[in-house]
Amino acid sequence: MSIDTHAEHDAQGHGGHDGGHHEPPEVVDARQRMAIWLFIGGDIITMSALLFTYLYLRGVNTGGHWMSMVGYQGHSYAWFENALNSSAGLPSPTLIHVGTLSAGLNWFVTALTVVSAAIVWAAEKSLRATKNAKNYSALSWLAVLVTVVAIFFTIKQLHNIPSIFVAQNDSQTMSYTAYDSTMMVIIGSGMIHLFLLAFLGVGLAIRSARGAINGTKWFQARLVRLFWVWVAVSAVIISAVTTTINTIH
Amino acid sequence: MTSTLEHAAHTSAPEGGGLARRQNFLTAMIGGVVFAWLGWFLAHHFLDSSSRNFSDLVTTSLTIGWIFGFWLGIGALNGPGRWLIGADHTRADDLYYAGENQGRARYWKYCTDHKVVGVQYIVMTAVLLGAGGILAMAIRTELIVPGNHFVNQQVYNGFVAVHGMLMILALIVAVAGPWANFVVPIMCGARDMAFPRLNALSLWTLVGAAGLLLSVLAVGSLTMGWVVLAPIADQAGVGMDFFAMSIIVFTVSTTVAGVNTICTVMTMRTKGMTLARLPIFVWASVIAAALGLYAFPYFSLVEAQTLLDRNFNTSFFVAGGGGTGWLQANLFWLMGHPEVYVILLPAVGALFEIASVMSRKPVFSYRTAIAGMTGLAGLSILVWAHHMFTTGWAPTLGGPFMLTTELISIPTGLFFLVIIGTMWRGNVWMKLPTIWLFGFIFNFIIAGITGIYLSDIPIDNQLHGTMFVTAHFHYVFVGSVLFGAIAALAFWYPKVTGRFLDETMGRISFWLAFIGVQVTFLAMFVSGLRGMPRRYSSYSLIFEHTNFITTIGAYMIMAGMLVLLGAVVRSWSHGEPAGPNPWHANSLEWLVPTPPPLENFDVLPVITEDPYNYREELVRS
Repeated sequence: MSIDTHAEHDAQGHGGHDGGHHEPPEVVDARQRMAIWLFIGGDIITMSALLFTYLYLRGVNTGGHWMSMVGYQGHSYAWFENALNSSAGLPSPTLIHVGTLSAGLNWFVTALTVVSAAIVWAAEKSLRATKNAKNYSALSWLAVLVTVVAIFFTIKQLHNIPSIFVAQNDSQTMSYTAYDSTMMVIIGSGMIHLFLLAFLGVGLAIRSARGAINGTKWFQARLVRLFWVWVAVSAVIISAVTTTINTIH
Repeated sequence: MTSTLEHAAHTSAPEGGGLARRQNFLTAMIGGVVFAWLGWFLAHHFLDSSSRNFSDLVTTSLTIGWIFGFWLGIGALNGPGRWLIGADHTRADDLYYAGENQGRARYWKYCTDHKVVGVQYIVMTAVLLGAGGILAMAIRTELIVPGNHFVNQQVYNGFVAVHGMLMILALIVAVAGPWANFVVPIMCGARDMAFPRLNALSLWTLVGAAGLLLSVLAVGSLTMGWVVLAPIADQAGVGMDFFAMSIIVFTVSTTVAGVNTICTVMTMRTKGMTLARLPIFVWASVIAAALGLYAFPYFSLVEAQTLLDRNFNTSFFVAGGGGTGWLQANLFWLMGHPEVYVILLPAVGALFEIASVMSRKPVFSYRTAIAGMTGLAGLSILVWAHHMFTTGWAPTLGGPFMLTTELISIPTGLFFLVIIGTMWRGNVWMKLPTIWLFGFIFNFIIAGITGIYLSDIPIDNQLHGTMFVTAHFHYVFVGSVLFGAIAALAFWYPKVTGRFLDETMGRISFWLAFIGVQVTFLAMFVSGLRGMPRRYSSYSLIFEHTNFITTIGAYMIMAGMLVLLGAVVRSWSHGEPAGPNPWHANSLEWLVPTPPPLENFDVLPVITEDPYNYREELVRS
């Protein structure tokens, strides 16, 4: 390889342990943007796998149990313990059907995610236009607040997933149908996203308050916004699929 | 330009680092154990002990505690924590994290220097291969004669599962880990990886994951092979929880590493280093990284679903609740087949480099080589169902999947053409890397041809689940990838240590391993053709002779690997001095001092031609 070692003094600089080789912010930004897009790419694969799981289990509908299961509904563990200990034992289990989860709640969480993304986007635009970091910090806190509310309702969603009591040999357990299982993992992954957004949002708010993000150093704000918008888009896609393609007629 | 060691002699230690000054592998282990205990303690006190899932919940809680504590102890969370509060690293901090003037201590720390991470990966690969190899020997010892009771059947099953996964993890990182870290940034003309802290994160996350996987041996009960088939995986003991969590953690490591590699190559190339001038190993690393980004989310998800089934009674793989084991099979193999090429491609890329340098000729049909690797990566995502031909899943798709699988032989064939074309009429230098390269070619032909047999549905129906399949993929992983990885080690070892890998010991190692592979796996093919099933701890007398031969061959491979280990250790301090460019190569990693200085280049080079343009003055006399 022919090289010329005299011509260029550090066009590139250095990414991490800066040994005196400074890089222009736009170079670092371009690199970080590529990384965010790659992480989003990985997240798209994960979302696709989640939807594959959902649609596949719905498609195969093993034993007709996509939304049903043989078991007991509406009983507590204590009821099972009493029944198992009584001479009569458990009554015959029946086929329990579960309904779809609340589409309204699902879309409400999605709407909150979209709103939080819109706030972050607007905050970034405002920062770049007005150079007002205090305003940006305040809007970031607002986005965090909306995200925390979304997390609260996501936990409520998880709590609302209906379980079915199933007696197996001498023990009883609580099980979830395939529909409920897939919804649990989809809602759970949404919650992980929201926690991540809350972390990033708090970081943006604190960093902008401390001057680490300002009218001239806004690259990280854009990176976070990219991811935030993707999370909102993925929430819309997942809500659209899971609220329109769910029951089997 | 000064080397790292020279630099250390006249520079005072950096003042930064903060908390990282007190963090190292020991504190990581302590943190991991303490938080694992905390997870265990909290689960014991706050969860319903009468629950059927209690032991799984406790175990999962423990494993989460382990990895969190390990990250905390090693310093992986320092960066995010400081980012959160807006207290970014200073230059002194960055230099401290890069390990400046810390001598050998930096190898035990969360060091961000890509060369240190590369060496850490070499050690990690050796540890994983060693642990997996010991299990392989235990498996073969059990199988040396029928009805042997070296270990009991449950322990044997656990050995098979952990051996399989340890070896897979080891081979995923065997080439990409050490060399995509150590040489790729230098090959591109970069001062480090794009994200040095993420680089350290990928390494230490792998260490944490390996800890979880090795714990399976302590708790046992993993009895369903390395693919941990559902719904058996739902019913296994708590070893499965360790296993699943180790995979989830491992996928974090590979994702971070993949993003880092791609960003480094795409955004940090020096001036003149166009894509068409990139050394072919860099291309292989990027393609493998991209394929890993595609494949590993499936792995992570399927293990997460297994954990949910076990911990929270979901029904992903439970037919009574509407689930199906086919879901597990699909998701697993959506990862599983691309993963073969995530493992293979870096080794092939390294061999292209070796073929070119050792023949003093440019890589034959450079663009075809890139097309072959890209084509292989693309096709590999369309073949997963050939692992499920005999399961009854979607029989109508058998034909298309058979076709896509057989198409794989086209880009694979290109690899042979490129290597042979590169060496054709070249002035071939028969040094250690070249010898292992020839071993690769021989073994990979057998691996490839038997793969074509297995892609054919009628033959697969006969051979699926037999030792024939085991022999086939061991020809891929041991005979091909491991040989490629050792060739890469022998090739770049002088750049890491400044010394040649001992030629004599290396050759002894090669012949033991090469003959051992043929003895082991050719006999195993015969066992498989005669109908011997995989994963059995005992077998009929009709398989007695071939199993005996296989075990003898396995001991030969082990002997070869021990000799190689001896060569690596001995040569590190007593090997023949190699100088900065012992192979008279042209790519950038050979044009910097050995060992390369902290930031590789004092002045970034400007590239004016490709790395394979061997001029007369560089040709070996």
